[in-house]
Parts: sequence; structure tokens; C-alpha cells
Amino acid sequence: MAEDKAFNRREFLHRGARLTLGLSLAGVGAVAAVNAGGEKYVWQIDPFKCTQCGRCATDCVLEPSAVKCVHAYDLCGYCDLCGGYFKPGVTELETGAEKQLCPAAAIERKFIEEPYFEYVINEDLCIGCAKCVKGCGSFGNGSLHLQIRHDLCVNCNECSIARVCPSDAISRVPASEPYMIKGDFTENQEGEDQA
Amino acid sequence: MMKKIISIVVVLVTLAIIVLLVLDYSSVRPDKLGKNPYAYNVDEFRDVDPFLIGYKETRNIPVRDYQAGAIDLADNLLWLTGDAILEAITPGGVRQLRAETGGAGTCMEVVSGAVFIGFEDHVKRYDRKGNLVTAWKSPGEKTVITSLAAAGDEFLFVADAGNRRVLRYNFEGVLLNEFRGQAESDAGHGFIVPSANFDLIVNSYGELWVVNPGRHAIENYTFDGDLRGFWKLSAMTIEGFSGCCNPAEIAVTSDGSFVTSEKSMVRIKIYDASGKLKTVVAPPEKFREEGKAPEVVIDQAGTIYALDFDRNTIRIFEEIKK
Repeated sequence: MAEDKAFNRREFLHRGARLTLGLSLAGVGAVAAVNAGGEKYVWQIDPFKCTQCGRCATDCVLEPSAVKCVHAYDLCGYCDLCGGYFKPGVTELETGAEKQLCPAAAIERKFIEEPYFEYVINEDLCIGCAKCVKGCGSFGNGSLHLQIRHDLCVNCNECSIARVCPSDAISRVPASEPYMIKGDFTENQEGEDQA
Repeated sequence: MMKKIISIVVVLVTLAIIVLLVLDYSSVRPDKLGKNPYAYNVDEFRDVDPFLIGYKETRNIPVRDYQAGAIDLADNLLWLTGDAILEAITPGGVRQLRAETGGAGTCMEVVSGAVFIGFEDHVKRYDRKGNLVTAWKSPGEKTVITSLAAAGDEFLFVADAGNRRVLRYNFEGVLLNEFRGQAESDAGHGFIVPSANFDLIVNSYGELWVVNPGRHAIENYTFDGDLRGFWKLSAMTIEGFSGCCNPAEIAVTSDGSFVTSEKSMVRIKIYDASGKLKTVVAPPEKFREEGKAPEVVIDQAGTIYALDFDRNTIRIFEEIKK
């Protein structure tokens, strides 16, 4: 009786182990098959979910971060008093470093015609801190926003920024459409996609 | 023996708790977000000296069943329009009229014999019972109508943010003239309208005042479009206007003072006719951070009705008696 019980227990464990192994192999095979035949995915930031927490600058495995500010010129007001360029409270609209909001001086202000100015991001200097994004969104049209640049991103299996993003703004998107640029990508479109 | 086991268990549990606390303290989970070293902070500008605040919020009237898009005050009635609705209510909130408009009204002007509603690219005229009289032709491509103001019973001024111009019509919908602001003065190089915030008003003296939002200026024009005067105030402090497109909304009191409403750092203030700050009606703390500018109207008693788009509510502010 005792031997039967032992045999049954041993048999049960063996069968369980075989079943687990079989399921694991099937799962790995299925994932591999999907990956081989399906589309590749990359990480990207949804600009409408981003809350400019600053973690894109501090938590990327790269230094400086693969996240950069991009400018949707179609949405820009080309304002003289740009909330993304000048520190809050600045009244003299000069380009001195002490007047600039960007801690890396990564935004260039170019005169277009009186009284319009263009703001160009120098991505070599940009650290993806989103300070300008917050200023532009708060006091402008929200044309500045963050994007993960795929010429820099190493596409980690688990994005270290996505792991800590407080607004769940970073997700995988098809590599064929790797960017979510404001204007091309709208909040409504996002809602439709989710629906 | 039992005591020894208990001691070991207690030590292990204590160690486990300490480890958990340390792990939790050092966690980088989203809900353990630390201080943002790159924070954009405008708190110092949101705080307003209480001595500057001359009004208090006394009542609210929620807008039911639709999103309001505009408000006007005429004959002691509050007129509202928005998603396919034209409505008139008493200042106490009792409905007097409700009619269908078939579109999303963005601005309105109520005069003695007519109700004009601005939709995105055209104006419709209704009678005071809400019946459609005429739909005017769109003045052109890219038209974004943001404000209407009547001069007597003769002219209707239309602000077109999309083309940065002011149009003058007669009440029959005939376009009489248009102008794009003055280019030859310090007031600016025409109207600078970075977003769909472009307001105008005709005051009790029959003067046309147009906001030049990209310049933080309020400009006085003749009906033909000649600049007569202006004042402007760029500042994030309470004395001025901040951001790209402020003041986003204005109203005028019977003595020619301006009630201004700003978007982003939302605040409502009153300036005298020359641009000197008289009082603060509502500080930023009253509104949603980075919210839309409430549209404001003022009655003869000085009570201010602010249509708060973010809350879809008419918020009523009355002067604090001193």
C-alpha cells in the first residue's frame, strides 16, 4: 500500500514535470513563431499621456537619454514670449542663459520675421527632461513634446523608463510607425485605437 | 527548546520586515516617484495676495445635458449655447428657453431683436425664441470664429482667429469691411493669434476693443479698422498677462473697465480703461491647473458670471463689500 502511494506520487511528479516542460516549450515556440512572422515593436511615448515627470532624463540606460524633445511646428505659435524657451516670469525676451528654461541650452531661438520666432531643438544637447514640454504645454500650444529617438534607443526588452513612468505613457508600438508626433497623432486617434 | 524556536522566528520576521522596508524605501516604482529635478514650477505666480482679491464666489449654476461653448447676458437673462443647444436661463438658474441649433456654437451675441451664434466658420441669426432666421455664408477658408460683438442694432463684429482678422457685417449678414490690426504702431504687427483665443467687445460708449493675444494687448479700433489706442501688459505676475494667448476672454463694465480671463494659469481680473489692475476676481487656485479661460459677462450690479468650460458650470462672483 505504501509502495503504491510512493509509486503514484513519483508518477504524478514525473507527469507534472513532463506537462510543465511541454507547455513551456510550446509557449516559447509560439512566441518565437509570432515574433518571426509578425511585426517588430519599439518603445514610444504617448505625448498625450506624458506628465513631464523628468524620469525620461534620469532613468534611461543611455546617458544622455534616448528620449529627446521634438517640435511639431504645425502646432507652434512662433511666439516671441515662448513658455518652452523662457523661464517663468521672464519679461525681457533675451537669449541669455539665465533667461532660458532648458537646463542644457538645447533650444535655439531663431528670428523669422517681426514678431515671430522659431524654436529648434538641438538633439545633441537635449537630455529629455521635459521642462520645456511642460512650459510649452502650460503657456503655449503644446507643440514641444518628448519622443524616444530610435536612432539612439537600444530597444531594451524591458524599457527602464517605461518601468518607472508614473503615467503609463510608454508602450510598444509597431516599428513601421515608430513615432507619435503631435498633429499627426491626435488624442482622439489614440482613443479610437484603444477602442 | 520552544523559546529558542520562538526567538529565531522573531529575529527572522524582524529581519524580513527591515529588508522589506529598505527595499520599499529604495524602490523606483512609479508610485514612489521622488522629486523631479527638472520640475517646472510656477507656484509663486499662482499665489495671489488676498488683499488684491475683491470678489468671492457665491453661487454656481451647472450646465445640464450638453457642453456649453459660450455665454452672454441680455435683458437679465443668461444666454448659453454649445453642443446643438441655445438656452436662456434666469440668473437664478430657471430655464426660460431651450432650442436646437444643430451645431456646436463657439460664441454668441444677444441683442434686442436677435441672437447671433458663431459656429466654427459661419454665423447664424436666430430670433429671441430660438428660431433660425438666416445662416450667413462662411467668410472664407481657414475661418475660425471665436467672438461676436454688436454695435447698437446696426453692426456685428466677428473675430476670425483662423485668419487673424476682424470682420464687420450689418445685421442682414452683408460683409462691410475687414481689418487685420495695425502694422505701423508699437501695438504689434497686426493681430497675433497663436491659438483659437481671439476676443473682441463693444463697450457702453460704442468703442470697439479687440484683444491682440500674442501681444498681451487690448486695442481700440474705429469701425473702419484704424487703431486709436491700446494698452498691453506682459507678465506672469498678477499685474499682467502670461503665455501665448492672453487675455483669452474679456468683458466690459459700464464704466469702461475690463474684466479679463486668462487660460493656462487661469485667473479673472478687472483693469481700468487704461490698463491698471483694479482688483482680482478669482485667483488661479479657483480653477483647474492649465485650464481653459472661462468666458465672462458682467451685469449692471457688477456681478460676474464666468462660464467655466472645464467644469461646464456658470460660476458667479460678487464683489466683497467693505
